[in-house]
Amino acid sequence: MDSKIFSYIDPSPPAPADGGALSGKRAAVQSSISVKGWPTEAGSRALEGFIALEDATVVERLRAAGAILAGNTHTGELGFGLAGDTASQALKNGLVDVTLMTDTLGEGRVAAASAGVFGFKPSYGRVSRFGLVGLVPSMDCCSILGKSLDDLAAFLEAVEGHDDRDPSMGDTPLEAFRMGRGSSPGSERSSLSAGVVVQSLESLNAGGRKVFEEALRRVEKAGIALREVQCEDFDLFRIVHNVIGSVEASSSCGKFDGVRYGHCAAGAKNWNEMYLRSRGESFGRVLKAYLFQGAYFQFENYPAFERACSLRAKLAQAGRKWLDGVDMMILPTRCAAAHDRPAETVEQVYDIFPLTLPANVTGQPALTLPGFLPTSAGDLGLQLVGPAGGDRLLLEAAGRLYPRTEEAR
Amino acid sequence: MTTDHEAVIGLEIHVQLNCPTKMFCDCPNRAGDEPNQNTCPICLWLPGNLPRFSREALEKATLACLALNCDIQKESAFDQKVYYYPDLPKGYQLSQFHHPLAKNGWLNITDADGGTKKIRIQKIHMEEDVARLVHEKEGRTSVSLVDFNRAGAPLVEIVTQPDVRTPHQAMEFLRCLRSQLRYSGSSDCSMEQGTMRVDANVSLRPRGSDQMNTKVEIKNMNSIRHVGDAIAYEITRQANSLKAGEPIVLHTRLWDPDNRVTTAMRGKFEGPCVPDPSVPRIVVDDAWLEEMRRALPEMPDKKAARFMEQYGLTAEEASMMSAERELSEYFEAVVEHKTSPRLAAQWISGQLLPLLKERNAVLPESAVTPECFAGLLLMLAREEINANAAKEVLKRLQESGDTPEEIVAQCGFRQVSEAGELEALVDRVLAENPSAVENFRKGASKAMGFLMGQAMQASGGKANPRLLKEIMTRKLQ
Ligand SMILES: [Zn+2]
Repeated sequence: MDSKIFSYIDPSPPAPADGGALSGKRAAVQSSISVKGWPTEAGSRALEGFIALEDATVVERLRAAGAILAGNTHTGELGFGLAGDTASQALKNGLVDVTLMTDTLGEGRVAAASAGVFGFKPSYGRVSRFGLVGLVPSMDCCSILGKSLDDLAAFLEAVEGHDDRDPSMGDTPLEAFRMGRGSSPGSERSSLSAGVVVQSLESLNAGGRKVFEEALRRVEKAGIALREVQCEDFDLFRIVHNVIGSVEASSSCGKFDGVRYGHCAAGAKNWNEMYLRSRGESFGRVLKAYLFQGAYFQFENYPAFERACSLRAKLAQAGRKWLDGVDMMILPTRCAAAHDRPAETVEQVYDIFPLTLPANVTGQPALTLPGFLPTSAGDLGLQLVGPAGGDRLLLEAAGRLYPRTEEAR
Repeated sequence: MTTDHEAVIGLEIHVQLNCPTKMFCDCPNRAGDEPNQNTCPICLWLPGNLPRFSREALEKATLACLALNCDIQKESAFDQKVYYYPDLPKGYQLSQFHHPLAKNGWLNITDADGGTKKIRIQKIHMEEDVARLVHEKEGRTSVSLVDFNRAGAPLVEIVTQPDVRTPHQAMEFLRCLRSQLRYSGSSDCSMEQGTMRVDANVSLRPRGSDQMNTKVEIKNMNSIRHVGDAIAYEITRQANSLKAGEPIVLHTRLWDPDNRVTTAMRGKFEGPCVPDPSVPRIVVDDAWLEEMRRALPEMPDKKAARFMEQYGLTAEEASMMSAERELSEYFEAVVEHKTSPRLAAQWISGQLLPLLKERNAVLPESAVTPECFAGLLLMLAREEINANAAKEVLKRLQESGDTPEEIVAQCGFRQVSEAGELEALVDRVLAENPSAVENFRKGASKAMGFLMGQAMQASGGKANPRLLKEIMTRKLQ
């Protein structure tokens, strides 16, 4: 296997648990997801040489269900953005059936869309964050990438559900959401509807709009009723994510001091100098800019942060309102303008994710589907966003869009 | 202080809750263990870990707030107090800054003139303790070692309104607060052990004014006495500055108990407080709060009132017997054995407590069980032994573990109350001391005391003093 794709390959994977739902499935996780005894460096010098002491809950659960964990894929620094990320390549090259990624801005869905595979971000609180090295605790989520909807559903089933070690998981029993694909017969919805997010189209060029219109016709043909939905404040998602995300990231990175693990600068004269130099040498330019920005709001412009928090509550409310008359929202995953060159500024990172980050802001589940939006800039991915907890509804709706025989490509 | 100024003092008290575990993990919350023994990936904040808020910490904190007459807030939440220092392994401290657990408390204290003064409590919030730094030398190099045993220990911080005016009031308030919190069972409140830490904010203003002037924070007092001394010093220091026309600047000073002065410390960095996204908001409902109220024991004020009502103690005796929860429980256990409550209160405060103090012993572990002590008092009341003998028996009780009846029998302390025996004794003493008898008859009543002493001595301390005096008085007439 390729070390360009894997940052760590398990030399002797343990024999998989017998008879589990994932029996025989091969999986990889990003190096930001803890596997006991494996280097968990999350793409950052700040965690250089850090060996996880415990399995992340998702790792423990997917192994218990019989999956074989092949290794770690590379990740952008602390999962922020997609620079250097190899999760989707591992899938595309047929090295694994499913990969798990941390999703802060929509990294999982955008990587899946570009690679032409399925990518699913569960509702916030549905899958445990224990063992995930993330940046933005209120938005981070473990996303699942796979080549088939069945694999996605099976992996979700295996890893979801309450975990005492993640305090942000709600108390709502999972059974309340058990509907749709893979659940008991007769529970399926007879008719489904989706709201087309009008504002999301502004990010598409003419070619992009054309394929999107065509995709919508296919969706209608599959029996999903469409309706236009005006989301007036769509642009605010990005700003709110940027302010709150950077503030939380600034705090989250406080623990990376280079003392107990990670890179520690040599020859510092006192502890302040040691902190400054270790952190200065550890973080990459883009992440550093993001952390500075967060520190700015924390120390110098707290009212702006408070405003972002109240806007976030309003956006979550609006998100629920938009879903009043429809089962889900429908929009592209990537915009045509998203460039292939690596992002060099925080804004360039955000330029890649304007259509995915709303689901991180509100905690709603979102699913990207391959094959609907082929453009010269690659597959843009057709994205479905459901109500919080409506994870299975999305998988069921997606199932209707693919005749069983031509599911993955 | 000049008489035209008054001090405005606010106190901030950190109290460590006596929960078995830390606030966000299951590590033992225990002092005195080997460094870094009580740690785990959560309290070391290793990557991938999330805080798990302890329900027990919430319960103990709530009891503490109720004991200080606070309103428990329906919703409270943790914030991140951001600062970088080696005692804080994640760069922020989890503390309830924006939404504290409780507000609007108060305690009534007794002022120097005997009047009652109400000190208001602005808020009480929960927070985690930080690690302990140990500065040492390795050869000629200074090293700073970090002990994470204390990191994450559950604390509440109590912030008063600036209602305190004098060092005396500050000390009274702290004694009262300590008593309330110990009573509630939420904390040991030992300033010596560091489970209670007090900072004082002191400023001066013209008497009668309601302005708030620049305050100076003083820290590092490790007894209530030191808090009083440090505040007194600081008031004088500021008054002298004002007299000399020097401005007071906002800063922090450390109390130096050896030299009895405060000295300025390096400016402290105050970081921002942002809501913590990982610890869920704390929402308490009425039923749970009612349960907590019921879990709160009878507090000293109420208990003292009941002691007066139920047992007929004087106000002073009642307040003495209810000052500490263990003492009050001991008192009631003694009274349950049908001893006279007032006699019990007098003997506990007058004899037992001084004896324990002298022997460096504490009530709960004392060999003098309530049953033993009650047995002793009952013998005293039945005049089987006299007070002198009872004091002697008490000393032996504390040492031996025998019952009071056994000790009295072994040592022959049983009181002589047989009239014939006492009459003979008195006759002998009067015959041996004719001049004293003569003096008494001339009106020197002091001579009676002397003769009683002689007689008691002659009985080996065992004579029933009441009967002895009766007989003596009769024979002298
Ligand atoms: Zn711990």
